[in-house]
Amino acid sequence: MVDPDDRRSAASSAREANRRRRTEKLLIGRLKDHGIANYQFRTKQDPSYYVKLLTRNGERTLWGKDLQRALLQGETRPQVGELIGVRRTAREAVTITSRQRDAEGRVIAQEERHAHRARWVVEKVSFFAKRAQMARRLRDEQADVRESVRAHPELKSTFLTVRAAEDYAAKTIANPEDRERFLQLIRGAIASSIHKGEPLPSTSLRNRTADSPAVKSRGPKREDPTR
Amino acid sequence: MSTLVTVLTAETALADASTSRWLKNALREALERDPADALNDALALAGILEDRLRSLLELDEP
Repeated sequence: MVDPDDRRSAASSAREANRRRRTEKLLIGRLKDHGIANYQFRTKQDPSYYVKLLTRNGERTLWGKDLQRALLQGETRPQVGELIGVRRTAREAVTITSRQRDAEGRVIAQEERHAHRARWVVEKVSFFAKRAQMARRLRDEQADVRESVRAHPELKSTFLTVRAAEDYAAKTIANPEDRERFLQLIRGAIASSIHKGEPLPSTSLRNRTADSPAVKSRGPKREDPTR
Repeated sequence: MSTLVTVLTAETALADASTSRWLKNALREALERDPADALNDALALAGILEDRLRSLLELDEP
C-alpha cells in the first residue's frame, strides 16, 4: 500500500517538474527592441531591463535585470530584427530594496524583501540548434568521443567531466546496474544543461607536479620562511 | 541602451530590397484578401513554421 505522504510528495514533484518545463520552455520570436526602463514602463517602478519580441502569439515583453547581461554578453549577441530564442534557466534568491519616491524623485520610504531573480539565456536560434546537437552527442553513449570533440571542440571539458564521473563510479559503485544508472543521471543532467544553453563545464587537467601529495606534504626547508 | 525601432508596414516591406521574394509575394496576395482572414492565416502559418523549426532543430528537450 502506498503511503499517502509519498503520493502527495510525488504529485508535488510532478507539479514542480511541469512548472519548470513551462517556465523554461524556449520562447522564439523576432527581436523588436530592448533596453533599460522602469519596470512595466511605470514611472514609479525601479529600473529594469526589457526585451520585446514578436512571437507567434503576438508581441511579448519580458522583464528582468539579467536580460541585459544575457543579451549583451551572450555568445551570439543578437541584433534587432533577428530571430532569437529566450529561455529562463534559473531563479536565484535575492534581496530587493523597493523605494517609494515623491514628485521630486526623493526617496520617502524604503522596504527590503526576499525574492527570486531569474537568470536568462538570450541567443540567436542557431545557438540553440547547435546546443541541441551537442546535447544529443553527449546523451549518445555509443558516440565516438574523439569525433564528438573534433566536431564540437567546446565539448572537451564536458567529456572530461563525464570521464571523471566514470572513474568515480568505477571506484565507488560495485553494482554494474547502479553504476550505469548513476552515469545516465550524470549524462542526462549535463546534456539537459547544455540543451538549455547554460554555460558549458570548464574542467582543466590538474597539474600533477604542483598538486602531488609529495609536494604538499614535504616539510619546511631550512631556507623556507617561517611565517 | 534602447534601440531605434523601425515600424514595418506593407509599403516599406515591399520597397525594401532585403525583404525576401517569398514574403513580398505572400504580402501582395494577402493585401488582396479580407484583412481578418489574411491575418488569421498568417498567425496559423507562423505557428506551423515555428513548430517545424522546433522539430527540425530539436530545440525542445527530448
